[in-house]
Amino acid sequence: MLNELLRVEQLSSGYHRVPVLNGVSFYVREGEMVAIIGPNGAGKTTLLKTISGLLQPTSGQIFFHGQEISGQPPHTISRIGIAHVPEGGRLFPNMSVMENLMMGAYGNRDVLKTGVLDELFELFPRLKERRHQLARTLSGGERQMLAIARGMASRPRLLMLDEPSLGLAPILVEAIYDRLRVLRERGLTILLVEQNIHHALSLADRGYVLENGRIVLEGACAALSQNPHIRQHYLGL
Amino acid sequence: MRRTREGLNRLLLAALLGVALLLPIAVRTDQYTLVLLTTILLYGVLATAWNVIGGLAGQLDLAAGAYLGLGAFTAGTLLIRLNVSPWLGMVLGGLVAVGFAVLIGYPLFRFGVKEVWYALSSAALVEVLRVTFLIWSQVGGPVERYLPYHEWSFYHLRFATYMPFYYIMLGLLALALLVNHWIRHSKLGYYLMALGENEEAAEVLGVNTQKCKLQALAIYAFLVGVTGSIYACMYGFIHPNFFSGPMSIEVAILGIVGGMGITYGPVMAAILLVSVREFLRANLGGQLEGLYLVVYATVLILIALFRPQGLGPMLRQAYDRLLSRLVKE
Repeated sequence: MLNELLRVEQLSSGYHRVPVLNGVSFYVREGEMVAIIGPNGAGKTTLLKTISGLLQPTSGQIFFHGQEISGQPPHTISRIGIAHVPEGGRLFPNMSVMENLMMGAYGNRDVLKTGVLDELFELFPRLKERRHQLARTLSGGERQMLAIARGMASRPRLLMLDEPSLGLAPILVEAIYDRLRVLRERGLTILLVEQNIHHALSLADRGYVLENGRIVLEGACAALSQNPHIRQHYLGL
Repeated sequence: MRRTREGLNRLLLAALLGVALLLPIAVRTDQYTLVLLTTILLYGVLATAWNVIGGLAGQLDLAAGAYLGLGAFTAGTLLIRLNVSPWLGMVLGGLVAVGFAVLIGYPLFRFGVKEVWYALSSAALVEVLRVTFLIWSQVGGPVERYLPYHEWSFYHLRFATYMPFYYIMLGLLALALLVNHWIRHSKLGYYLMALGENEEAAEVLGVNTQKCKLQALAIYAFLVGVTGSIYACMYGFIHPNFFSGPMSIEVAILGIVGGMGITYGPVMAAILLVSVREFLRANLGGQLEGLYLVVYATVLILIALFRPQGLGPMLRQAYDRLLSRLVKE
């Protein structure tokens, strides 16, 4: 039995007085890749924002390595090893590729001495070619790669990705997922939030289905893709 | 190639410094031109200081007048009441401005007051202070309070000519530029640029945005507070109108027109725009009241239309083109 890295218990959260999440519970084991899938407005992004501290939970708990982290500010949560790659990448458009990566590592500067940048450039060779370009001049696929690389630059223990396939051409989605596969094989723990259910379910180990702020289904991805509800509502089969 | 380029850079810097140092000697006793040049430098310092909070950290601060006034009143009151030298007074003035900035900035940043709301809050601060000092008759009040007259006193920082103030302001500008340059290449600078571009992304990468914004605000307030102390000595009096809303907006305009986050941009903007404004005031001011402001505003609109990135990048490109031509030959 592998260790649990992240555990979320009965989490409720939302914006001001509008509740979005309603008692969400799930866990992620060390080295595992977990997908959270669901339609628009289900609360997927809200869930990630609450874990990374951008939103405060209204009730419930979040544990990382057995320690409660709910209510901590985002910069503290980032420093204990949770990297959040927000929806659409949220790069710093007027900084170069290199500066964006450095920002990713700045929370823990010692990490730069471990050659993390070389590793990232090996993983994303295009970024090395473009390292002096401003981020706003990158193509959509390159931006997403940079966003993932920036999240990786702090050597997180948990990488949270918010819709990495958003707005990308199918061939670029393939390229992104190919890189995620490599990361996963290297043993990185990944929490993936996706609307692109086909890709998410084919790569992740386990999945949760989030609808209207509640987890309605969970299980191994292989089983989920056979589930009649999923096949009918999400895969259109 | 690289070496000649750096050589030319250094040559230009030395030439600019030489011109700046020699200008007052060329002007000699022409007090109007001297005060004009000093005013340009004053706005240069203020806009360069603004660059820390506005350009780098992306907070549209409109409270320069608040910190300027606090600096002026601190140094001025200490000189009038206790005969404290403004050299000490300006440091204390800067610190009072910092204290006030932290007092206001902490709750603003703590409760996430951003963008236009931050701009409005900071603009309101100037007016609140102006009225407070108008009512507070022990220190302010509606009548100007004059600093003691000295024809040439280094201790009192009072001179019958503007020449010393020109050099003091030049030194302050050098300090403001150095501070900017240093921040731009420090960890804090990257944090500020990151949160200025996308605050949420910076937060999830581990930047304590509240703390960084407060640091930027404090550095800005200190520089403006010191400038305010010198401003009081230069004009020889203090008055609640030093808490000036229009001046605060002007500082932000110079910072924006200069090019957000570019170290030398605000100075360039100050040199260009304050010269244009004063030239227009001198030549059109007598004809129709406010006409010079109409022309000045037109210049600003034209810059906004054709150079929305600001003057800094434009001058930079022109300079680079010139350099590459010179180096090639």
